[in-house]
Amino acid sequence: MSQLSSASQPKLRPGCRLSDSPQQGDVLLIPEGILRLVGPGKKILEYCDGQRTVTEIVHGLQQAFPSVDPSRIESEVNTFLERLHQKGVLELS
Amino acid sequence: MTPSVPLSLIAELTHRCPLHCVYCSNPLEMQARASEMPAEAWIRVLEDAAQLGVLQLHLTGGEPLARPDLNEIIAAARKANLYTNLITSGIGLNADRLAALVNAGLDHIQLSFQDSDEQAANDIAGTRAHAVKLELSRIIKRHRLAFTMNIVVHRQNLSRLPAMIALAEELTVDRLEIAHVQYYGWALRNREALLPSRAQWEQSLEIITSARDRLKGRMRVDFVGPDYYAKYPKACMGGWARSVMLVDPAGRALPCHAAGVIPGLNFDNVQDHDLRWIWEHSPAFQKFRGESWMPEPCRSCDRRAQDFGGCRCQAMLLTGNPSATDPVCTLSPMHEIVEGITNRPPEAPPDWVYRIDPVARA
Repeated sequence: MSQLSSASQPKLRPGCRLSDSPQQGDVLLIPEGILRLVGPGKKILEYCDGQRTVTEIVHGLQQAFPSVDPSRIESEVNTFLERLHQKGVLELS
Repeated sequence: MTPSVPLSLIAELTHRCPLHCVYCSNPLEMQARASEMPAEAWIRVLEDAAQLGVLQLHLTGGEPLARPDLNEIIAAARKANLYTNLITSGIGLNADRLAALVNAGLDHIQLSFQDSDEQAANDIAGTRAHAVKLELSRIIKRHRLAFTMNIVVHRQNLSRLPAMIALAEELTVDRLEIAHVQYYGWALRNREALLPSRAQWEQSLEIITSARDRLKGRMRVDFVGPDYYAKYPKACMGGWARSVMLVDPAGRALPCHAAGVIPGLNFDNVQDHDLRWIWEHSPAFQKFRGESWMPEPCRSCDRRAQDFGGCRCQAMLLTGNPSATDPVCTLSPMHEIVEGITNRPPEAPPDWVYRIDPVARA
């Protein structure tokens, strides 16, 4: 599957992993690259276990942050995952 | 000025290599086996690097597999929480050794190919390596490990660029890196035979752009252009001593692979000074850091924070002055040097010189 949809079950591809360094903060380490994670980025990636669908990830985040506008969470999650997918960082099943 | 924190450490573990690629980025003067640092010294360097803020370690050479203690070095890097990337020809690797490297914590393997065509690939490498790489690719796919296929492109193999992309698809690599030759070290020696025509370069860009679109989400495609044809210079190493540090087999710390060509720079050794001191205070790292060294037109150029004046080593190699604006820049007063090279009518390319292994000097 190469298109990200609400039914996709994303997880990080081999060789892509989260790291927290005292000097650099939360980052996603990928082949020949470092992506800095700001805001809910790290939390979103923690939900990407290859089991949860994108819809379930959105729901999970909405429950974790009840004071934030749910539609804003939905659009942030979709934008973030689409960006990572374009970079070839996600495996979809 | 206060330096930023380095993000990557390039560890040239050895200059020994079973391949003899005509575009090797190693310096012409290489470090012999007898001067190579032992694993304990490397491990201390890795730990210091992680302390300093480095996130990614690139193990390269020469051929890093030539070192029997590679496993120990990777395990220590992973323990220090570094992301480990092995840049390799694959010669010296088999299923068991790869499994051990993955077990030690290897994150990413970058396997070099010289061509899609076996004979042409072996001609570039000066040895019969292509079939071994194909076999290894299948072994690599058995592991959860990021797999990059790297191919250097030039005048002699660009006609097969579509076949190279097809090979990467067939081997289902995660990432394909197509890099035009950069003219330093052995590649500069062989520039006449390697430099593509402008038409070849433009065509390669079209082919890559369309492959990148088609493969989006499946395979990441990264492309490095030949800067002799660029309008503006590359941000070499992301700026001098700004985010990358390189340590050579003998422990000398350099801001880049080629910095040894700049006269008058003294490279401090990691066995004499700790890495933080070198990063912050070594005169070689300070030399072109920031903007105060810049001549015009860089000094007042809007792009100076994007390309940092280009490459100091290239300025040295082409103009004889390491502080000059990189002459590949169309704004450089010495750009005619590059035009003189790129506008030369295509002739039958001369024979090339193969990279030789370092030998102990008497």
